[in-house]
Amino acid sequence: MIEPSTVQSNPSLHLSRILDAQKVTLIGVIIAIFIFFTIFAPNFLTAQNLMFVILKVSTIIIVATAATLLMITGNFDLSVGSVLAFSGIMHAFMAKHGIPSALSLVLAIGWGMLFGYLNGLTVARLKITPVIATLATMYIARGFAFLVARWDGGANISAGLPQDFSSFGRTMIGPLPLLAIIMIVLVAVFIFIERKTVLGRYIFAMGSNPDAARLSGINVPGIITSLYVLTGAFAGLCGAIQTSRIGMGSPQNFKGFEFDVLIALILGGTSLKGGEGSITGMVLGALIVGVAGNGLNLMAVSPYYQLVFNGSILVIAVVIYQGLGKKFQ
Amino acid sequence: MAEVIIDVKRLAKRFPGVDALTDISFQIRKNAVHCLVGENGAGKSTFIKILTGVYQADEGELLLNGKVFKPKNIRESRKAGITAIYQELNVVDDLTVEQNLSLGKEKHRWGVVQKMPDLGKVASILKDLDPRIQLNQKVATLSVAQKQVIEIAKAISSDANIIVMDEPTAAISEEEVRRLFEIIQTLKQQRVTVIYISHRLSEIFEIGDDVTVFRDGKMINTLAVEELNHNGRSQASVELVKMMLGKVVAEHYTPNEIDYQIKVLEAQNLTNNTLKNVTFDLYKGEILGFYGLVGSGKTEIARVLYGLDPFTGRVVIKGKECRLGRVHDAIKAGITMIPEERRAEGIFGLLSIRENIPIMKMSNVLKNKIISRFKERNLAQSYIQKLRMVARDEEQGVSFLSGGNQQKVVISKCLNSQSSIFLMDEPTRGVDVGAKEEIHNIIRGLSKEGCSIIVFSSELPEIVNLCDRIVLMYEGEIRKVLKNHKNIDSEEIMHIITGGKWGAS
Amino acid sequence: MGCIMIKAVLKGFTQKQEFVLFAILVFICTVFTIITPFFLSAYNIGNLLRAVSMIVIVACGGTLLMMTANFDLSTGGNLIFSNIIFAMTCLAGVPVVFALGITILCGCVIGAINGILVARFSVTPFIATLSTWFIFKGIAKAITDNNEIKAGLPKGFDFLGQGQIGPIPMPIIFLVVVVVIFLFLERKTLLGKYSMAIGGNPTAAYLSGIDGNKIIFLLYTITGGLAGLAGSIAASRIGSGNPRMGDGFEFDVIIAIILGGTPLTGGRGTILGTLIGALIVAVIGSGLNMLGMLSFWQLVLKGAILVVAILLNEKFRK
Repeated sequence: MIEPSTVQSNPSLHLSRILDAQKVTLIGVIIAIFIFFTIFAPNFLTAQNLMFVILKVSTIIIVATAATLLMITGNFDLSVGSVLAFSGIMHAFMAKHGIPSALSLVLAIGWGMLFGYLNGLTVARLKITPVIATLATMYIARGFAFLVARWDGGANISAGLPQDFSSFGRTMIGPLPLLAIIMIVLVAVFIFIERKTVLGRYIFAMGSNPDAARLSGINVPGIITSLYVLTGAFAGLCGAIQTSRIGMGSPQNFKGFEFDVLIALILGGTSLKGGEGSITGMVLGALIVGVAGNGLNLMAVSPYYQLVFNGSILVIAVVIYQGLGKKFQ
Repeated sequence: MAEVIIDVKRLAKRFPGVDALTDISFQIRKNAVHCLVGENGAGKSTFIKILTGVYQADEGELLLNGKVFKPKNIRESRKAGITAIYQELNVVDDLTVEQNLSLGKEKHRWGVVQKMPDLGKVASILKDLDPRIQLNQKVATLSVAQKQVIEIAKAISSDANIIVMDEPTAAISEEEVRRLFEIIQTLKQQRVTVIYISHRLSEIFEIGDDVTVFRDGKMINTLAVEELNHNGRSQASVELVKMMLGKVVAEHYTPNEIDYQIKVLEAQNLTNNTLKNVTFDLYKGEILGFYGLVGSGKTEIARVLYGLDPFTGRVVIKGKECRLGRVHDAIKAGITMIPEERRAEGIFGLLSIRENIPIMKMSNVLKNKIISRFKERNLAQSYIQKLRMVARDEEQGVSFLSGGNQQKVVISKCLNSQSSIFLMDEPTRGVDVGAKEEIHNIIRGLSKEGCSIIVFSSELPEIVNLCDRIVLMYEGEIRKVLKNHKNIDSEEIMHIITGGKWGAS
Repeated sequence: MGCIMIKAVLKGFTQKQEFVLFAILVFICTVFTIITPFFLSAYNIGNLLRAVSMIVIVACGGTLLMMTANFDLSTGGNLIFSNIIFAMTCLAGVPVVFALGITILCGCVIGAINGILVARFSVTPFIATLSTWFIFKGIAKAITDNNEIKAGLPKGFDFLGQGQIGPIPMPIIFLVVVVVIFLFLERKTLLGKYSMAIGGNPTAAYLSGIDGNKIIFLLYTITGGLAGLAGSIAASRIGSGNPRMGDGFEFDVIIAIILGGTPLTGGRGTILGTLIGALIVAVIGSGLNMLGMLSFWQLVLKGAILVVAILLNEKFRK
């Protein structure tokens, strides 16, 4: 007679306890960074600078909400930066040619959804690996952005814009800019989706075991495509708003943005392999990226050294998390 | 030639929740074709993995040519002369035959490969085995059988004197099987010992010298094929199968309440690569069992009914004809499947028990369209209790559970879908005896509630204790459908699943 | 040397996919020549080959790497960094030849970092090479503050990129040399054979005693060195160390490799295919330029070609 076995488990290393430790560490890092920059970076704690930080972080977080869920399913989107640039310049282009702001905003979201759908198609239906598929979209979108600028006759669109072009992007609701409000709303919504909805559960399931998900009746390709479309939509939205705020549509904007998103996600504990991650973690990661970037700028650290910094953080974070993950297998 | 090349002494191997091998002792003669038979999970592949160094035994020892043999990995066993050839062939498709044969052993100067002067040796071995194979052919263009030949040639040329063949005839034509057998005879003459694993019993009799029967991790019997044959071939098959399957007692069987007026599922002429015109009915409240040896087509039927594999034929569910092209269609028609491979297809390892269970019908744990942690916890706890799962609590990650408990999670997941038709593919494989009984009771409970269940199993005791009717499969065909009763004739069953025709002798 | 190349070319034609690719190349060239006869001029072809030389040089290493089912996104960053290093070392008075050697060495170091991350630390190639891309692109731009290094460069600086030996421009000579070397490596050495084995059937490779990690490390290092070479040629071509060039280089390299028949999953691929793949992309670009089409359409087109190429590779698998 075979005795029922006792379970092999590591009671003290329960998964959620590890994640909590991770988040506490992240919060600690954020506080440390904040203190560091308050001391060493001139004008860090000014209202104007904090506004910059909020704007930068908001953009990352808005796009990253959908991107987090996407990465939990084991996929990601490298095209977001280009989509932001494209939507932005399209928004400027249309404004220049007399289309009302509200309409072109909606269209901007539409462009984003279109590119998102392209991504969904190539990744979920044609089964092309996300790295390459979204890399292709990244170049395609960026290419179209340049084309729009050229059609308009210049390298970017900054002249001939209607008076109220910038006002939309600079809208404030109370003490906070529009982007920040959108961010807060979306974070709340997505935390809700992640933890409390059927969709959220399906997303974690898909990331953990795509085959089992299929056998359990989950519409895997449909959900992946929807998430890409959503990511694209948010990118489109942010592109339009930011472009409006800056007052200029340029195909050079937002270069490298997708990597800010990627780093925010990875720092926040979302694994590239899927099945793990959280919106709250992403928010913390985005704060680190945004604040660190801002602080370094203020300290006149060349933006190029920041590239070095970003790259190092990325790989160090992955190596550490992978190492920790192996320990707790 | 009674010289022993491998002496197995009291080998044991345990995994969490399951004793894969217990007290295995037998001997393999030199230059013999030694067959290993047994159902899935009986221990054959665990033994081979210990022999090739993939696993290390917990107890006991292996003697190779009289000396203790404890390989730590595959390379060590290969160095000792043991090569295993599996169904996933170890050839590189995009290289040529010559390149494959010399892989890792090229004659080179500073990395530059020379034309091998002694590729001649292995080339001539290859020519003997199959003269049609050209050295500069890309391996991708060869048939499965020819790729096997390459592996055999490579093994011989690296002085392997024990070659393990794991289900070599699974994917090759009859003519190629003939050729393979000729090759095996040649191998014997060249002083190679062959360990041959197959579920096709006829092959055992044709080419085997000795056979060892595994069952439930134990070595049941080792004997010369000649001894088996002394009562005639067909009786020999039955004897062998009896050893493989053990005594069959249907003492636990009680008929379920079946409504013969309602045909819940009708399958007509299901045909594909494996299945041949499978036709059967399932009644409401019935537990229908599909039984047969490995490869007889059981899992294929489950996959077809769940929309996973293409087929021709008709499926009518509750009076409505259904197109089962995707999993979605099957679920919509009211079918739920417990898959054969729980790790790969059943569990969400990174999620907790609580998060796994409601997945197929989330509406059960929703309150106002939101997931209610309270409901989830209750649901999980009720299943944990009902199925007597052993876990710290419902928050435990499923990947940390033992195989048996993982299976219970999968079953809970499927029970929760509240379908009316269940397909259960090996529902209690790898599950300890106590849990088996619990799961069987759950299945009987389902039938009482009016659900209909099809159980696909390679464990005869499970089939005869649960099922109302038993469908016997052999090579993709339904050979016979028996009505179950306490005194069912297991001899008849064994005959039929080995391809024999009961009644004629 | 010539014999090997001729034999290789002939052998290449017996493989199905390269033949198709070559046919496509010829077809496209024909179309463009019909539209603008100028297309087939020596000047244009020379330009084309010069431009494509850097991509192909790096893609040779990248092809062997992708055969093992790994890839390298850092080649662009490496290119920029090498570009700068070459200019800076020349500026510091080091003779051009030595400067070249040093640059290649630096490229190898970058490649080695990739190799360690992927082979030793099991970081997925995407993250590993993306990080190095950031880091070294960043260093290059930071050191120079994103400005050209132009003043004070020695006379020999231009030779690699703009000089010629006989009638043949230097970049093309490098191109031919590297391609021939890699054809040799691919067909006649263990490196080529093992690369294919590792990607085609890792278990078989392991069982045959091949150390996959060592080979992958080596291939990353080699690819890095090739990027160093390409960066030097690039700097020499424009006559300055320019940290602003090389945008999208890694993308061009990967397209060439995939279009040339090396799938992302590895196991197959040829240097010849990569060469033809790179040529096809370059020819399309050049032709479209001549037709007055905006270069930005090329970005779009390249993205589309990439997707199509991947799908085609799947088709050829069966």
